[in-house]
Amino acid sequence: MKSNREKIREFLGNASAPVKLSFLIMGSGHFRYGARGKGLIYLLIEISMIVYLIRRGISDIIGFFTLGTVHADAWAGVEGDNSVVMMLMGIFAWIVVFAFVFLYQQNVRSAYDLQKRVEQGLPVPTLKDDLASLLDRKFYMLVLALPVIGVCIFNVLPIIFMILIAFTNYGGTIVPPELVDWVGFDNFKKLVVLTKFAPTFGKILSWNLLWAVLSTTLNYFAGIGLALLLNKECVRGKAFWRAFPVLAYAIPGFITLLAFKFMFSYGGPINQMIISHGGTAIGFLDLDAKWSARIIGLLVNCWISVPSIMLLATGHLSNRDKSLYEAARIDGAGKFAQFWKLTMPFMIFATTPVLLGQFIGNFNNFGIFYFLRGGLYMDGYFLASDTDLLINWLYNLSIDNNYYCIGAAISLIIFLITSAISLVVYVKSPSYREEDTFQ
Amino acid sequence: MKNRITYKKSAGNLLDTGITYIILLVVAFIFFFPCLWLILASLSKSGSMYSFDGFFPQSYSLDTFKKLFQDTTMYNYPKWFLNTLFVATGSCILGTFLTILTAYTMSRFQFKARKPMMKATMVLGMFPSFMGMTAVYLLMTQFGLINHLWGLILIYAAGAPMGYLTQKGFFDTIPKAIDEAAKIDGATNFQIFTKINLPLAKPMIVYTALTSFTWPWSDFILPKLLLKEKNLYTVAVGLMSLDETEFARFAAGSVFIALPIVILYFCLVKNMVDSVSAGAVKG
Repeated sequence: MKSNREKIREFLGNASAPVKLSFLIMGSGHFRYGARGKGLIYLLIEISMIVYLIRRGISDIIGFFTLGTVHADAWAGVEGDNSVVMMLMGIFAWIVVFAFVFLYQQNVRSAYDLQKRVEQGLPVPTLKDDLASLLDRKFYMLVLALPVIGVCIFNVLPIIFMILIAFTNYGGTIVPPELVDWVGFDNFKKLVVLTKFAPTFGKILSWNLLWAVLSTTLNYFAGIGLALLLNKECVRGKAFWRAFPVLAYAIPGFITLLAFKFMFSYGGPINQMIISHGGTAIGFLDLDAKWSARIIGLLVNCWISVPSIMLLATGHLSNRDKSLYEAARIDGAGKFAQFWKLTMPFMIFATTPVLLGQFIGNFNNFGIFYFLRGGLYMDGYFLASDTDLLINWLYNLSIDNNYYCIGAAISLIIFLITSAISLVVYVKSPSYREEDTFQ
Repeated sequence: MKNRITYKKSAGNLLDTGITYIILLVVAFIFFFPCLWLILASLSKSGSMYSFDGFFPQSYSLDTFKKLFQDTTMYNYPKWFLNTLFVATGSCILGTFLTILTAYTMSRFQFKARKPMMKATMVLGMFPSFMGMTAVYLLMTQFGLINHLWGLILIYAAGAPMGYLTQKGFFDTIPKAIDEAAKIDGATNFQIFTKINLPLAKPMIVYTALTSFTWPWSDFILPKLLLKEKNLYTVAVGLMSLDETEFARFAAGSVFIALPIVILYFCLVKNMVDSVSAGAVKG
């Protein structure tokens, strides 16, 4: 292995003038060695980058640091800077710059490669050859381009934005047209120091962890159990039995949740039956109904998520290697041995990502208590209730009450917790370490 | 002696079968009862939950459904329904396409950025889902896509590949030997994908299509944020705006939007559970 410095020295010694000119005018190396099409593309990239920088890129990047300097003044007719938009466009500009730097590197590197090829007398790949290699050797590049761009704009950009918001004073009375400023770690300090937030955070966090573990375990084993039950040889009319969970699966979650809310409400059928048998109505989801509301939430969540896990598990069960079972039978393995030694390891291998997804999904299950109980605010909690998960609190804080920067800081903390837990689980799971086990 | 064993075994089997069916009946009841309740409520004559006799209405008629489609001045349900259908279909097609491609690539190709990308998507998926909602809203205003159904499709489809892990798990379980055999026969990667793996992955495609259809179909946060005109509402937002006194109308609207997915599933159910790799590799 050569060190980077040696590589650079070698490059400077060997590279021809057109290749070096590629540093200034992208694509010139390609022109020199006959790859016109590619050269033209690189040249166009450089020109459009310069146009972008002049037209808005540079001012966007400056805006990212200042977050606006001109106060809006309706009397003087000054429009003023919108700090939030400036920040967003600033991040966008950074992404464009990084993409350009990457392409710039590629340009020099591939020009140098071309030079070497020509010197060794190898044929120069035409644009057509390059496009053809996209269908074969570099198929992954072609395929991943679109998803990566989409994810960058609609997932990465907003998330970066919110991470940065956690370090500003955006929120409360400071929203555009007021100017937002960078404040460093002040929001996190507030969370630790102010008694306003700390106790609520602790209480909600512990319930949230309990909830995630309980509901994930319940859903996962119920779902896999159901799939195995339906997969049994003695069950006739599998399609018929499977139709019931599927029916539940087909009904959109919010309808289920609202329906269950009606079912357990004071005027709902369950309370009507209690009353007609001489009892008094019970407020299952009422203000003081801490545990009954929590248990109803768990069961309703089970009702909603079990069918999807069951369907997935059925798909995986059908994808098992049947020859393994035959071999096991020949070797004299009984049904239980087959189940524990073949089915379960395979299922755990195939569904670890699902299990983890379920855990994260349940940890951040917004809908369940939002619909079942609505946005209740309780004593002892700051803008939250005793069934609320962190995500509900986040919603209450940032969307209902404009605590944007505090909300962003809390979501960063949530993120740190969940990512730490699941990264450990995932990296240790067999489906990540030994991808080829069942291939 | 031998007879005795088979006798015991068959008795055990009978018991096993019996218990299996009892559990199945209970499961069927648990899943079916709330649906039945909702369906019957949508057929109630009075429309209010307070006139019900326990779980079920006292008298039945189809009036609520008529009202749902004809009385559109306050709640334009037919329009909401078409909007939802458009958004869900669009994001289903785009999203499934992107997800399957991503999952396949991540499962079959070895390239430098692969592990970092897998880790990055894991990390991204760990952020609370609507943490970036404020930012998405601002972005959409910048692109001028507020109050456009296309904007919703774009967001749903762009977010879909993030959930590629399930599909990747599936592709991982398709034996690689088939690919290698095809490669020896001179197939390009593109051909291997379209001619071999895509047909094998049919159950997974159906699963992906279903999930990427049902997600926009029942989502309410994003449409609520991005669609401000009542005529552009999706059913989820529309139904949420219904008054509590309109329980029968809510039930009727719910039954009606659950219908297409149920039909869709029952058309595609075969693809989902057919055995996949049985017989694909011999020996």
